Amino acid sequence: MPRTFTIDTSGSPRLHIAARVGAAVLGGYGFAWGINAVTMALLSAAGLEFHDAEFLGNLLGVLAFLVVFLWTFAARRLWRVWAVLTSGGALLAGTGSWVQSWLV
Amino acid sequence: MFQSFRQAMAWLHTWFGLVLGFVLMAAFFFGALSVFDREIDRWAIPETRIAPQPMPSYEKLLRPAFERMQPTPLAIDAMRPRVDGPMPAHFDTVDSWSAYTTHRDPVLALYAGYQVPHAKDAEERIWAYATIDPRDGRLLPDEQLKIGSGFFFPLHYGLTLDWKNLGIWIVGFSALMMLAALVSGVIMHRKLFREFFTFRPGKAPLRSVLDLHNLTGVVALPFHFFFALTGLLIFASTYYFPLGETQLHGLHERHEQAEARETGLPHARADVSAGLANVDAMVAEAQRRWHEHGKAGEVGFLVLQHVGDANGYVSVYRAGTDRIALVGDGIHFKASTGAVIHEDPPATPVARVSEFLTGLHLQHFRHWLLRWLYVLGGLTGAACIATGFIFFVEKRKKQHAKTGNQGSRVVDALAVTTVTGMLIATLTLLIVNRLLPERLPAAWASRGDLEVYLFWAGWALAMAHAFVRSAPVAQERANPAWYEQCRTVSAMALAAVLLNWITTGDHLIKTVFTHPYWPVAGVDLFLLASAALATVAAHRLKARLGADQLAQSTEAGHA
Repeated sequence: MPRTFTIDTSGSPRLHIAARVGAAVLGGYGFAWGINAVTMALLSAAGLEFHDAEFLGNLLGVLAFLVVFLWTFAARRLWRVWAVLTSGGALLAGTGSWVQSWLV
Repeated sequence: MFQSFRQAMAWLHTWFGLVLGFVLMAAFFFGALSVFDREIDRWAIPETRIAPQPMPSYEKLLRPAFERMQPTPLAIDAMRPRVDGPMPAHFDTVDSWSAYTTHRDPVLALYAGYQVPHAKDAEERIWAYATIDPRDGRLLPDEQLKIGSGFFFPLHYGLTLDWKNLGIWIVGFSALMMLAALVSGVIMHRKLFREFFTFRPGKAPLRSVLDLHNLTGVVALPFHFFFALTGLLIFASTYYFPLGETQLHGLHERHEQAEARETGLPHARADVSAGLANVDAMVAEAQRRWHEHGKAGEVGFLVLQHVGDANGYVSVYRAGTDRIALVGDGIHFKASTGAVIHEDPPATPVARVSEFLTGLHLQHFRHWLLRWLYVLGGLTGAACIATGFIFFVEKRKKQHAKTGNQGSRVVDALAVTTVTGMLIATLTLLIVNRLLPERLPAAWASRGDLEVYLFWAGWALAMAHAFVRSAPVAQERANPAWYEQCRTVSAMALAAVLLNWITTGDHLIKTVFTHPYWPVAGVDLFLLASAALATVAAHRLKARLGADQLAQSTEAGHA
């Protein structure tokens, strides 16, 4: 029998959908920004030209946005999605800034 | 909320596809038209129906044209709040003069940026724009809307909603949802490979609509994915993830300084006035160097930076007619002496990938067959989204009719608005373009603005009609607006071709046979083909509507 999993349905379904869409759009954007920042900073540190690092950062950022957007809707526990996206995004962006401060 | 992964993906596909599909329709359709933006411009501005011209001589033609340029009163008024103190009567400090053309442009676009005294942001420039006839330097009236490159193209990526770049953000998010819809669409369907070859037009409407949705989605999947992704990448660093201007400004600054050192191209004026050597000689030298490197070519973009200053330089870029990658191969000269300062080095591997991807989206290269395939791909995308709407309605309308839910009725009316309504709006613009007099009373909006207002008015009217006629959908019948608007489309497309003939004398016998001019002939032929398709569609929709009514009345009789 295929494994069925239930997504937390407590509370109003409308509120739940709003929270999920919010996580996908806002959390996803923040996370994508973080991926972008850390990629650009690390590739710059590795000696890549700025606009090359920027292009690869953008590419990874957009693809990461797509993946976490889909994951947000597939994930079982929404609080975990919010936690991963916000803290992960902040951590990645912070690392980007830290690498930059070390380079410039 | 969702019982399974597949169900979650189906929910995402349905609802995000529905809400943002309307935006995506516009992006795909006007993107498809933008493939021939220059040709549509020729149709809309009859006095520019001439053959494409190479970049003209700077000394003979461009210099006098540049010297005549000044920002419009409208641009000056818009700038006023960002300046401390009064605006000057004349802008004298030229930051840059530039001219741009492609292998499809008979007219030349000129840009002039001036320094603004006492601007709050010292880096901000005020811009003047002009379009000239490159044969004689004659200024073309600026109030004429370039319908293709000046309206359909920006509509395609920004909906012409310029306030805080809102339109660019909406289209960008929709592009992300296009990617999500493609991935979730693939996950939803187990038998993807078989659906590749499945189309059952004779089956129940629900089944054949879904077949067509899958077919157009799957066959052109690489095309759709590629265009949504590269569209996002083209704008990513400027709008969606402006890291270089914000969080990673330090890295960007470091790069700019290193680049200025390396290239020797001054970032700012020296504030020492200096003369200008012969620019035509610089252009000839640039072409000689391209020829030497085995890539002889025409000039696409000519830029004079810091005009009249000792730090001034002239950049000559090559037109990308013969390669997919959007490359410049720029060669930069010292303005006062004409000596070469710097030659752009060959692109890095990453830059080559990036240039190839953006080049494939923006297609400045010359390849007419590929250009038509792009149109086909764009229209396939629009068909995929439109059949998605219809499937949404067909699947629910029985249930909704039973429960009195108006959902499918609203979605169906919106689908009419975005499918046939969008065509009506487009044709309104073309017809109005041929009907409005050349000169309008001074108190009126400019001719171009009026054309745009009427475009939106035509669309609003089509929407109103779609909603007014939508009642039958709530009773599980078809909306007659579909066939009525198809008829309107075919009549309007014919009218546009006729009006082009009447107002300019350019009919198809002339533009195809006696004096071939493909930009106008192509638009006319495309309009005629659309009229024929819309007539067939109207006929079949009418027949189905009749059959529907018959079936319902027999059903009622049996009951």
